[in-house]
Amino acid sequence: MIGVAPPRYDPAASESATTLPVGSARTVRAYVGELFRRHRRAFLLLVSVNAVAVVASMVGPHLLGNLVEDLAAGARDIHVERTVALFAVALAVQTVFVRQVRLRGAMLGEWMLADLREDFLVRSVRLPPGVLERAGTGDLLSRITTDVDRLSNAVREAVPQLSVGIVWAGLLLGALTVTAPPLALAVVIALPVLLVGCRWYYRRAPGAYRSEAAGYAAVAAALTETVDAGRTVEAHRLGARRVALSERRIGEWTAWERYTLWLRTVLFPVVNATHVLILGSVLTLGGVFVMRGWLSVGELTTGALLAQMLVEPIGLILRWYDELQVAQVSLARLVGVREIEPGSGDDTVVPEGREVRADAVRFGYREGDDVLHEVSLAVPPGARVALVGPSGAGKSTLGRLLAGIYAPRTGEVTLGGAELARMPAERVREHVALVNQEHHVFVGTLRDNLLLANPDAGDDDLWAALAAVDADGWARALADGLDSEVGSGGMAVTPAQAQQIALARLVLADPHTLVLDEATSLLDPRAARHLERSLARVLEGRTVVAIAHRLHTAHDADVIAVVEDGRISEWGGHDELVAAGGAYAALWRSWHG
Amino acid sequence: MQIRDLPHPDPGDPDVRSGFRLLLWLWRSQLGGQLKALAWGTLQMAAIASFPLAVGVAVEAAAEGSGEGLVSAGGLMLVLGLAVTVGDTMLHRAAITNWITAAARMQQLLARRAAALGAALTRRVAAGEVVAVSTGDIEKIGWFVESVSRFGAALLTTVGVCVALVVYEPVLGAVVVAGVVLLIAAVLPLLPPATRRADAQRAEAGRATELASDTVAGLRVLRGIGGEELFLARYRGASQRVRRAAVRTARMWSLIDAVQVLLPGLLLISVVWMGTRLALDGRIAVGELVTVYGAVTFLLFPLRLFQEFAMAYSFSRPSAKRAARVLALRRETGAGPAAGARGGRVPHGDLYDPASGLTAPAGCLTAVVCGDPDAAGRLAERLGGHGGDPSEGTPSVLLGGVALDEVPLEVARTAVLVQDKDPVLLSGTLRELFDVPSSGRVAPRRALEAAQCGDVLDALARSGADTGGDPMRARITERGRSLSGGQRQRLALARSLVTDPEVLVLDEPTSAVDSHTEARVADALRLVRTDRTTVVFSSSPLLLDRADRVAFVRGGTVIAVGTHRDLLSRVPEYRAVVTREADADVPRAGIPDTSDTPDTPGVPDTAGTAAAPGAPGARRRERLEETA
Repeated sequence: MIGVAPPRYDPAASESATTLPVGSARTVRAYVGELFRRHRRAFLLLVSVNAVAVVASMVGPHLLGNLVEDLAAGARDIHVERTVALFAVALAVQTVFVRQVRLRGAMLGEWMLADLREDFLVRSVRLPPGVLERAGTGDLLSRITTDVDRLSNAVREAVPQLSVGIVWAGLLLGALTVTAPPLALAVVIALPVLLVGCRWYYRRAPGAYRSEAAGYAAVAAALTETVDAGRTVEAHRLGARRVALSERRIGEWTAWERYTLWLRTVLFPVVNATHVLILGSVLTLGGVFVMRGWLSVGELTTGALLAQMLVEPIGLILRWYDELQVAQVSLARLVGVREIEPGSGDDTVVPEGREVRADAVRFGYREGDDVLHEVSLAVPPGARVALVGPSGAGKSTLGRLLAGIYAPRTGEVTLGGAELARMPAERVREHVALVNQEHHVFVGTLRDNLLLANPDAGDDDLWAALAAVDADGWARALADGLDSEVGSGGMAVTPAQAQQIALARLVLADPHTLVLDEATSLLDPRAARHLERSLARVLEGRTVVAIAHRLHTAHDADVIAVVEDGRISEWGGHDELVAAGGAYAALWRSWHG
Repeated sequence: MQIRDLPHPDPGDPDVRSGFRLLLWLWRSQLGGQLKALAWGTLQMAAIASFPLAVGVAVEAAAEGSGEGLVSAGGLMLVLGLAVTVGDTMLHRAAITNWITAAARMQQLLARRAAALGAALTRRVAAGEVVAVSTGDIEKIGWFVESVSRFGAALLTTVGVCVALVVYEPVLGAVVVAGVVLLIAAVLPLLPPATRRADAQRAEAGRATELASDTVAGLRVLRGIGGEELFLARYRGASQRVRRAAVRTARMWSLIDAVQVLLPGLLLISVVWMGTRLALDGRIAVGELVTVYGAVTFLLFPLRLFQEFAMAYSFSRPSAKRAARVLALRRETGAGPAAGARGGRVPHGDLYDPASGLTAPAGCLTAVVCGDPDAAGRLAERLGGHGGDPSEGTPSVLLGGVALDEVPLEVARTAVLVQDKDPVLLSGTLRELFDVPSSGRVAPRRALEAAQCGDVLDALARSGADTGGDPMRARITERGRSLSGGQRQRLALARSLVTDPEVLVLDEPTSAVDSHTEARVADALRLVRTDRTTVVFSSSPLLLDRADRVAFVRGGTVIAVGTHRDLLSRVPEYRAVVTREADADVPRAGIPDTSDTPDTPGVPDTAGTAAAPGAPGARRRERLEETA
């Protein structure tokens, strides 16, 4: 077998839907520069301790060289003890500093890694809500898990090890040049072989390793899904298909393993040949030089030992350079979040009053493809408005515009006369909250889960909020009360309890206007009815725009807006609309029987 | 076994009695590869070990001014260099092949086990363990199994070098051998704490990743209501704990590194000291001193392999234990020894559950209203057979008089498809989603139309650039997270319709779908399921109104049967559940439970209709209204 072509299928290509930007080379460079500046001192410290360790490690070969020199010259009065003592001191220094190199390297790497992941999350939590709504959280999630994971090795090990390797190799070459200048020439002979081989390898390796890692992740992902969907797999008799899928993934992954193995099958002999060439040329050329009298035997010994020591730093550099290249793509993905404009907003825009209005609003997710056409409506303070209509008619989109998450393309959405689109997200949410089916319960204590809505709330406030949504009963029954761990890994919270937590957050955040996007629809009917009582209490005294999938929600509203095809086609009270005999009336009759 | 032949045609039957036995089994299953790696490894290390010999010859030749000696040193160097190059490359190839084949074998075994366990896995806590084995443990297991051969090669060469040294120069050799033993003994006790710290660090890292992904997953909530700073602070804390744990681990490793510099250094110094004395006495040549010095430096290399082997073992031991436990999982059959006793013929006829008294007449659309959603879920699951907890001892569901628990699982699942409350959309293209074992009667297009998936298709067609406008080529992400709850439900329903089983049980199939769409789904469902048995758990009047008959379940038993309108007028409690009138506490006394007792056990009242599968639904409905 001569050569292996890269597999046709590349698992890295389709591994995640990129909905957020990937950092340009410039952003990445700027960020890396900033990272180094932040840790300049740690970096310099690492380089210095490393230099001391390397210099100390060269004392041995040097002393041995002198000994050999003296022995070869037939000297009888050699101070072996003095040499041994010097050797021992050098060894002690080397021991201490080698330990420091490893430790300082790890500390630097860990600091940089912590900075990287924290910086990413800082940027992520500042993303404008509109960007999140559109992009979803899947891409962010894969960045904070997969990409951070892939970067860890590179930052944790590659950065310190590479700097160690470069300093090490440089010092060795320098020492070689100082002790035996002609021998440095011998090293240069081997250089072209190494350069040509590495060039070939590094052109192919980073992409291949990336695909290999993605391929392996895909193997695990297929299995995870089979496990996760156990019920579905069994009900639909998909077992054989899942096994076949896993084996196909294994085939795809191992194809990349085979390719990268081939790449190393080329690289390894090149590296080995380089070492042999260095050592061989040092010895043979050096031998000739000694016989010509250009070089002493001691210098040759020292030179040969130093040349042999070059194996380690060269190996180090080759090993970690790889990793750094693979990490580049992940770094670009992490840094990419920086290219999104953080939510802007004018802090001076302050609403006066609570009336929500939409005036001739047009909006679309794509250019030239409007979802809403000239929608206007006014919701007086304290009113209940229900939006009903078929899927895809634009109800949810309209709700998001009224909650200030999206800005209209034309027209304006105002709250108390102030344009929502011009306010910062932090200001908007003091007044308006969107309540949707997403009742995320965060990993952590019940207290943390509530405090997020109002960090200044005391325990009494938290209990009051829980009581307001009928949740104090089960919450008080918890062994650790507010300190009970909930979310995945902690106490299992039922969907209804999750929703009560979400509602309690609303009580604490206390916005005067709520946009409900079918908040209870994913729940089963009995839980939903119980929750509706909780919800009713939360809604008291607030302006409510409810996107209703279920008609009973509409029935209770002051005004019902039937949304069809991006327009409001009917508008009025329940009785009024039933009497009018339109689309709403037909549906109501079929629903209510 | 070559990598290109993977996946294994048959991964074999592993020895799962213990973690160690599993490792042994894996090792034995690649004995050829192990021997190959051992041979190449020995060649490589022997060649490296011989290098100091060449250096010694060269130094000696230079010292004596012998050109001939220099040439032979160069020749020796060339031969050894070649051997090292070939040995190194081939060892790497053999070792990686062993690693990959072992890992692939384990992944295949795991996939088979997961598929065989199916729903049983979801019920157990073991689900997380299976994933942990796949994502973390297999790598370590493969590493250890592979490192056995390299360890063997290192052991062989170390012993060889030590013996040679002792023979070549007894005194120096003895010192070196003693030093090597001391070196191994000094480093080994440091390894367990180092691996423990590494494990602690990994655990911290796992927690931080969990916090980060949890924060990102709930980011919309945070941005909508606040608390970003709270969660950032929390994450920073976790991230810094990871950093500190990592530095703690590094402290241990740096100590090991230091010991590995110090002890061999001391050994070297003693060798130089003694060697110089010997050379001064003229008992050894200068070149020999250099050779011994070089041999000692070489010994550090196999020593590292010893250390790696010890580390691989301590890392892989818990992994192998867990893998063995997971691979040993077997399905607990709920039906006892009789399970699978009946033949493989797919039964058909009326579906009857003796425990609740529920009957779903063949060819009809039966709706079930159940006050308690959890009870509804359990009842739905039981209707498929092979589901219950074996300790309960509830009698099996009968399909056409055949106990489903007693037919093979595959047959039961073929006969009855239970779509639970939270059906999972498996990732892949839409076409792959609909590639399920099916009757072939219902085309995906028809099912999608029936489930009112038009808007989903539009959204999917627009979502990706590579679909070419064909929604069937659009990709569904894991669990369909890119879709809304209602869209997911409708796709799942369409998938079940494509399967087109004899009996289809749907648990709340449209709970997240808006009323407009739900009404259309209900109409289409009737049409697609004509002449097939369908059971829908729901409390939506839009669905109930379109069912042939409705069974009202309370406290685990059917207490009323009739049409929706009929029950609405007759049973106040039913009315309360389905219309969600504010007060659910309807007086129980109002329920006429004599006239509406469930169908007599064993003799379903619609047994006669089952014999006439072609009978139109409308006629059957009249019949039911009569009986009610």
